[in-house]
Amino acid sequence: MIPIDRQHTEAELRKFVGAEVYVHSEATSFVFVRNFKVKVTEAHVKGEGPYRVALRFEDRGWLRMEALTHAEVDGSGRLLLAGYDDRGRMNVALHLGKEPFAE
Amino acid sequence: MNEQQQGEARKLLAVFAHPDDESFICGGTLAKYAAEGYEITLVSATRGEMGRRMGNPPYLNRETMADARERELREACDILGIGRLILFGIRDKTVEFADEEQLTARIESLLGEIDPDVVLTFHEIMGGHPDHCAIGKATTAACRRAERTASLYYITFGDAMSRPERYGYTRHDIVKIDVSAYLKAKLAAFRAHRCQTEMDEWVWLPDREALSRFGKHEYFIHADPVAPTVAFRDAF
Repeated sequence: MIPIDRQHTEAELRKFVGAEVYVHSEATSFVFVRNFKVKVTEAHVKGEGPYRVALRFEDRGWLRMEALTHAEVDGSGRLLLAGYDDRGRMNVALHLGKEPFAE
Repeated sequence: MNEQQQGEARKLLAVFAHPDDESFICGGTLAKYAAEGYEITLVSATRGEMGRRMGNPPYLNRETMADARERELREACDILGIGRLILFGIRDKTVEFADEEQLTARIESLLGEIDPDVVLTFHEIMGGHPDHCAIGKATTAACRRAERTASLYYITFGDAMSRPERYGYTRHDIVKIDVSAYLKAKLAAFRAHRCQTEMDEWVWLPDREALSRFGKHEYFIHADPVAPTVAFRDAF
């Protein structure tokens, strides 16, 4: 995982626009959703770090997250975003992939 | 242990929820019993893949965590002398939502297969985490069905049970294991769980300082004390 570069990460995120994607999203201490399947129509990254990310879905709907700090495109082409605190603990995560994530 | 028969080894089955439960909570006892010849089987219901600690500085993400924690767990098992590891493959944080009947039956079948002299699990109320309580409840139910509650002990945290009356128990219910000769193994197992312990500076201090943070005893609640015994038995 490497620190987010806003423009680079936004470009990676926008590669999923128009596609059916599987989403893993979590606020680590409170909630996770895994393998929600959506069609993404917009993707945004805002802020100066930590960053805010928003996705819009076909027909209607939003996913908005904040506190993201790190990103990685893994060997399977999945975009993995995460927000860590200063001791390596995860606060949030947002993963997008074209295939389902392992249950 | 003194009454150990010649020939067949005695057996201990530990049924826990996450990689690191075996090391952080009762690593000294597992190392001790392994050293004394027990064959130890560990069940971890999950691979701990929903953990919050991702290394420090962080090098894991949600998708790489399961493999990393399984690798760390296998290393800890080698250090402690746990010969057999069984992963139930339930997703971390979802054990309480697993089918309780199936989970109980799975554990009951292991009890039949292994025929353990000692079973360790979490207390179903005092487990401290929903996954802990759920696996403890299922293991307790399995032991009841198999009529093995005389072999069942609940693991406890730190030295809370040095004063069991505060929790509604007496000293007759408690086994107090002296692990002072096995703290090096326990520390090595803590360090094997690197992504979970990296942010705890004391674990990585020179051995002597790190070892001084451990208590000399680990405490267990006997699920079904058969008869009044001496206060604080020192073995299962």
